[in-house]
Amino acid sequence: MGQTKQDEEYGYDLFPERSARKPTQITIRDSLFTFRNKCQVMLMFAMETSPYAKLLLSAMKNSGCKVFKDRHFSCEDCDGTVSGGFDAASSQIVLCQNNIHQQAHMNRVVTHELIHAFDHCRAHVDWFNNFRHLACSEIRAANLSGDCSFSNEVSRFNFGLKEHHQQCVRGRAVRSILAVRKVSLEEAQKIVDEVFDSCFNDHAPFGRIPHGNKDAKFAYREYVNRDRYYMNL
Amino acid sequence: MQPPRACEDYLSEFRHCKSFRNRFHHYYTYGTAPSCQQWKADYHNCSEWERHKLTEAKDALQKSERRRLEEQKNFTPVWKLRQAPPGDWHRPLDQETQQDS
Repeated sequence: MGQTKQDEEYGYDLFPERSARKPTQITIRDSLFTFRNKCQVMLMFAMETSPYAKLLLSAMKNSGCKVFKDRHFSCEDCDGTVSGGFDAASSQIVLCQNNIHQQAHMNRVVTHELIHAFDHCRAHVDWFNNFRHLACSEIRAANLSGDCSFSNEVSRFNFGLKEHHQQCVRGRAVRSILAVRKVSLEEAQKIVDEVFDSCFNDHAPFGRIPHGNKDAKFAYREYVNRDRYYMNL
Repeated sequence: MQPPRACEDYLSEFRHCKSFRNRFHHYYTYGTAPSCQQWKADYHNCSEWERHKLTEAKDALQKSERRRLEEQKNFTPVWKLRQAPPGDWHRPLDQETQQDS
């Protein structure tokens, strides 16, 4: 994975620290005063308090992919405005410490990337060669992570009401594909259109589209009680 | 046998469903109003089951939950599900970073 062409083709050039392959000398000063420490603290908070994250972590553990913070998360500096990514090759979620500055944003990015990791864990997702698979996971991540909540869209000055959530999900899925693969806008839109109905309706592991923390808490409660649920159907 | 969920869960789901916030978000997502009556019926059946052990209540509740599950599967998956997790999920990182596995 050291070739530049391959790096560009799969979006690795957005995450320069991944392909540097140089040991990062982290000094005490670095860990106390840089973005890395803030990133680590926000990550821990997200994992422990966000019902979205807790549900996904629980679901992954039950699927045989227990998530270890130090192994499966990596706080790094990234290019541009990208907030995070999932690297299937190393089974790691990358968090862009230079672009995530608020806890709510961290919660959302962690949720979004955990959805990719969850898909990787439970299905044969061909991240590198099958654009339909990539689109599907991006649709699910935009749909279920709160990326497209009304308030988030308003903060991006995207004003819309009736069914705007779906428009947002489509748009963000297309953007995510364009960011990491060399395809045209039309191609990306066509792929998203092809798989939208299927993937928009796949709400695993939430069982619903969580519109906020209350929804996510109800979904988490449902998940925690699933043994009793299935036993009594 | 007991109800699939605690009866208070049905009531809280009903109340949540009818809340302004949820109705707003449902419209924002689907362009329609949510239908919440089923939660109310489920709560009623759950209470009847628990208190009076009525078979009709039990059957109705179970039928309702099974329908809910069916609705969740209302799509054709784009990918094939795994039988086992990916073999390299726990593989230690071979880079010289500060992370430990």
